[in-house]
Amino acid sequence: MMNVEIKEVPATQNAVILRFSGELNSESIGEICSSFEKLESEEKKFAIADMTGVSLISSAALGEFMGARKRFVEKGGDLVFAKMKMDIRTKLNLMGATKIFRVFSDIRSALNAYKWQVERNPEVLHLKFPSYLEVVPPLRQLISRIAKLKGYSNKDSFRIETIVDEVCNNAVEHGKQGVDQKIDLKMSIDPQKIELDVVNMSDPEKMDSLKALLKPRNGAQGETSDSKRGRGLALIKMLTDELTVDCSEKGTSVHIKKVREE
Amino acid sequence: MESQIDLVYEDIRGKVNAKLIRFIGDLDATNVETVLEKVCSLFNEGIRDLVADFKKLRYVNSTGLGILLHFSKSAKEKGGSFKIANINENVYEIIEIIGATSLLEIYDELDEAIAALE
Repeated sequence: MMNVEIKEVPATQNAVILRFSGELNSESIGEICSSFEKLESEEKKFAIADMTGVSLISSAALGEFMGARKRFVEKGGDLVFAKMKMDIRTKLNLMGATKIFRVFSDIRSALNAYKWQVERNPEVLHLKFPSYLEVVPPLRQLISRIAKLKGYSNKDSFRIETIVDEVCNNAVEHGKQGVDQKIDLKMSIDPQKIELDVVNMSDPEKMDSLKALLKPRNGAQGETSDSKRGRGLALIKMLTDELTVDCSEKGTSVHIKKVREE
Repeated sequence: MESQIDLVYEDIRGKVNAKLIRFIGDLDATNVETVLEKVCSLFNEGIRDLVADFKKLRYVNSTGLGILLHFSKSAKEKGGSFKIANINENVYEIIEIIGATSLLEIYDELDEAIAALE
């Protein structure tokens, strides 16, 4: 015996939760099929199958889910699973279905996937870290991994890692340093682009070196200098699509936009 | 804490004043001074030619690139050379963007770099 309850998701235009319970077997195919047809007639794009109360799913029932998923994907959406019992998830794994379906541990994560994929809402990471060079490597690797997890290519993720590294190193090197001196980093990521805002406190003693750094140079290409430093900003310029540096006696803020290339 | 980087030294057969250095890890602002010190000590010991194997160098930033240019200059001043081989695509792109490909002796394969030693 199977039951399905359809629940609209407030604050979304075309996402819906299907709360299944009981056994999803050949006898329930008709009801599964009509549930999906109803969603399609209402032009829903993204369905989250809440599997909390499901004790069994047969291969025939799974076939219905696959067909429905294909139609959702064709419309730019998806059909995903959430809150699935471990034994059912293991069965889906053995059938190879988890290579096709995304399975989320909770509804919130599934809704985040909807907001990312369909509404293309950016996700934001906001960090404050002490102004020390040693903090930068794990930070740049974290952001690079987030980009990779969000589907950015290895190349794009590497470029993002480089941008974060260079901009944070400059913030440490040309700003106030120490445990009490915090650098503020905000990253906003969506399927098309990453934006970064990095703010640090100015060090009055380093204002001259900062101004020298910001003076127009002969670009990165055509490098002739054998100096060990001073190439970071040029590298950032070449890797980003937008770069704004706002420098004052109080602090320096850098805004960067990097459009996804691959 | 510094980023992890290991430098593994090997002799090059038939080349008394040369060393092969395998770079393993990330070269960035946190460890350039350590790397600089280690490589400069080789020059001070009389090594003139260095061949750097970058096969396992995952990452380099502008500061790291700065010391590579410094090694190249130092080697030339001593009548030797600093040759780099096996650069991964991402690291190569950074060197290219900085415009340093013409300032560094870059080889696709390690054998080619070693064969180019005078």
